[in-house]
Amino acid sequence: MAEVLLENVSRTFGGFTAVDGIHLHVAAGEFVTLLGPSGCGKTTTLRMVAGLEEATGGRISIGRRVVSEPARHVHLAPDRRQLGMVFQSYAIWPHMRVFDNVAYPLQVRRRSTAEIRERVDRALRLVEMDRFADRPAPALSGGQQQRVAIARAMVFEPEVLLLDEPLSNLDARLRAQMGDEFRSLQRRLGITTLYVTHDQDEAMALSDRIVVMRGGRILQIGTPTEIYQRPNSEAVASFLGSPNLLDAVVTGVEAAAPDLSRFEVRGEGWQGIAYGNQSFSCGQSVRVLVRPEDLRVGPISQDVDAAWRGEVIASVYRGARRSLRLRTSAGELHFEVPALTEMRLGEVVQVEAAKSSLWTVASN
Amino acid sequence: MSTLSSNEVATGSMRLGFRAGRLMEGKAPRRLALAALALLLAFLSLYPLSMLLYGSLHTTPPGIAGTFDLSGYRQVFTWPTALLFANTVGISLLKTIFSLLLAVLFGWIISRTDTPMRGALEVLITLPFFVPPILTAMAWGMLGNPQVGVINLVWQRMFGSETPLINVYSYSGVVWHMVQYSTPFLFLFVVEAFRAMDPALEEASRMCGGSQWSTFRRVSLPLMMPAVITAFLLSFIRGLENFESPLFFGTPARIEVVTTAIYNSIHHQSIPNYQFASALSFVIMALMFLLVFWQWRMLRGRSFQTVTGKGYSPRVIKLGSWRWLTFALCMVFFLVSVVLPIGQLLLGSFFQFFGFYQWDMLTLDHYRSVLGNDEVWRAFRNTFLLGFGGASVTMLLGSIVAYVSTRTRWSGRRLIDVLAWLPWMMPGMVLAVGFLWGFAFLPGAITIYGTIWALLIAYVALGTPISVRVMSAAYHQLSFDLEECSRVHGAGWWQTLWRILVALAWPSFAVGWVLTFFGIMRELSASVLLYSVGSEVLSVVLLRMWENGQAEAVSVVGLMMMSLVFLFRWVQLRLIKRYVNAL
Ligand SMILES: Nc1ncnc2c1ncn2[C@@H]1O[C@H](COP(=O)(O)OP(=O)(O)O)[C@@H](O)[C@H]1O
Ligand SMILES: [Mg+2]
Repeated sequence: MAEVLLENVSRTFGGFTAVDGIHLHVAAGEFVTLLGPSGCGKTTTLRMVAGLEEATGGRISIGRRVVSEPARHVHLAPDRRQLGMVFQSYAIWPHMRVFDNVAYPLQVRRRSTAEIRERVDRALRLVEMDRFADRPAPALSGGQQQRVAIARAMVFEPEVLLLDEPLSNLDARLRAQMGDEFRSLQRRLGITTLYVTHDQDEAMALSDRIVVMRGGRILQIGTPTEIYQRPNSEAVASFLGSPNLLDAVVTGVEAAAPDLSRFEVRGEGWQGIAYGNQSFSCGQSVRVLVRPEDLRVGPISQDVDAAWRGEVIASVYRGARRSLRLRTSAGELHFEVPALTEMRLGEVVQVEAAKSSLWTVASN
Repeated sequence: MSTLSSNEVATGSMRLGFRAGRLMEGKAPRRLALAALALLLAFLSLYPLSMLLYGSLHTTPPGIAGTFDLSGYRQVFTWPTALLFANTVGISLLKTIFSLLLAVLFGWIISRTDTPMRGALEVLITLPFFVPPILTAMAWGMLGNPQVGVINLVWQRMFGSETPLINVYSYSGVVWHMVQYSTPFLFLFVVEAFRAMDPALEEASRMCGGSQWSTFRRVSLPLMMPAVITAFLLSFIRGLENFESPLFFGTPARIEVVTTAIYNSIHHQSIPNYQFASALSFVIMALMFLLVFWQWRMLRGRSFQTVTGKGYSPRVIKLGSWRWLTFALCMVFFLVSVVLPIGQLLLGSFFQFFGFYQWDMLTLDHYRSVLGNDEVWRAFRNTFLLGFGGASVTMLLGSIVAYVSTRTRWSGRRLIDVLAWLPWMMPGMVLAVGFLWGFAFLPGAITIYGTIWALLIAYVALGTPISVRVMSAAYHQLSFDLEECSRVHGAGWWQTLWRILVALAWPSFAVGWVLTFFGIMRELSASVLLYSVGSEVLSVVLLRMWENGQAEAVSVVGLMMMSLVFLFRWVQLRLIKRYVNAL
């Protein structure tokens, strides 16, 4: 399996920069996801790796081979890059049977009929589509097309697999199931995978590492835990989930661990303990991230990092949970409680943050 | 990297594919190929166009030394010519209005009512469109002849009348013959527009309290307007170009339009007046250009949401026993526009003289003489040669132009597109006049005029705009992903072109091919100027036989041609059913 290396890669369309100097290293066998809002340049990045779009700056290597380097006029055609790709539309060729669709990458590589037969069967079994080999392609459901697209992308054991929002056309239940299946398949085969999605849940459930992008740039690269719990900026923090972000001032700093600091912070009408991996000094303004799921209603216990008091201004029943909005002196807080918790509008309650759950990012 | 090595040992043909593919990706060879394409297209459109301008200023016929002056244009801007234009525009406007009314009626019957056997009726209503107009023109010339036409004979026999019922050699005859062709043409547009309409839009109007009639007037009709306007203008333009109807029914009654005036001033004057013909051609083309431009301006920004081709199943109105009336209306149109002319050809072919229908005058002589006529056989051979060759070349050219303009981002593709579209505004007759000058102007070593190539070139030029349109529509339906997916999974440029694009677009190619073939088989106005001894085509031979008064032999040839048309139409319908709808 091959690694993929993007060094300072850019792409401009006329005067518009869609991808702006990206650095990314995908290790062999790793599953890396590009995550970001629509229009942030994920697809363009993926297409540059595939060779479908020419980079306008930087260098892309697959394995040890430089496949794209505009400065030296290197641009390897897509068919010479030995990749597998799953398109958002699946791009199942409608004039072929399922079998022919999957056999195509082998046929154009002039493999023997016996080998094609065997490999296609194996690939179709892998995605549990072997019963459909003789079906005409248009007679497939969305989920089945997606399986065929995956089988086709993997049939010749490519060095790298590229996927562009492969689950976005499926309904919610199928999306979760296909995601899990695909991930375990990828682990088993150990194929280097670059995956594009705008769905944070999908990104976190599947990836070894996530690349958060915005406006053609990378905001943060890290494991799902790092990205979710230790975002490096307000933008990353607010892109994942819908956190509370409170203004505060640093009043004390102390080292908690290598690369981790413990801050005493004070906001409007509250104070507490927050952690962070950036360096802030006393008196500096920061934003404190409080995730809704880390808040609970309570009588003040002895050992909390922070607590707020406020009036309930909205309460929405969601089946499994109940969402609440609280007006406090620090601003509005929203959080979740078990669904059957009795809570009247206008009631004044006290909420507290779980231990070590507050995270500081720079305020901008 | 193991897969790469197996690539390296690929067979020879594969290597060729790869290398040619690389070639198309290289900048210099691509520019060369594009330049060659642009030159070819310019020869087919820009060249005759500029030669037309040259010819309109030139005092003598093509190939003869002369001087330059404006006398051609001076002759165009006179009262008789103004009348000519008024005639042309008036006839075309009239026939377009009549056919549009009929087309909307039939479109509504077929798509919105429970009239029985609508599928079959649709095929029958559109059938006249595929019959070469020269055939029905000659048949109607016999049917509606004031002295010996069958219709008048029957009328006089039945009602003892002295005066004939109809006379096709008149304004109404010209209009009537055109209506037979524009109705199916407009019908195709209108019925599509009716079908593509989201029924929810009409249901919403009904829910808001609108009656069936006010819903039709205030919702359905406005929604169809963009499609109807396009169709109206297209049909009007085709009316201006029309040659057969005014030639057959207008000329004997001294009714002249622009096309017949061009033809007459070249063919039916002791000294052919090429300068006037060219000037007239140039002016009518300028007029068409303005029309097309106006149409483009008017439709720009209008959305075509109603004609997206989504498969709605519109609400069908239950007509009760009235549905037999609507059925009868459609059948009458079919009977009058197809069955009657065929019947006349049959009748004419078996009697010694047309107009004298007595048992003792039954004969097979005409069949014998036609089958023994070398000229007819040669014309058959030429027509088929040109039909097959012309349709293939035209569709190939159209596929390439459409590919360049819709599937690539190569610079220069706009120019290619415009060049290929130019002949759209040139009536066949005008293009032929341009080519007459163009061929005479070529260096002496290249003789095209007088050979079958002259016709081929004109047919390809005339057919290219339509073939580009057909293929563009086919390509538009194929997402780019399908091609890119093939590239990523290891196929080269040529392989992708062949195995994905061609494999997916060929049914449209075939349908377009048959359309172009029909177009060539029916073509008269360009052929009649560009043919010469040895390169006659069927339509020209028919015209000459008709002018010599051989109506009976004409009937025989016409019947043979008609059978071929029906055979091709049947094959085409089968093809569409099987492949185009399946995708
Ligand atoms: N061929 C193109 N020409 C011009 N702009 C483009 C082109 N392709 C993409 N873009 C622009 O680049 C930006 C990034 O696009 P894309 O990579 O598709 O975003 P994403 O996949 O993250 O939604 C968008 O603003 C898009 O409009
Ligand atoms: Mg995208």
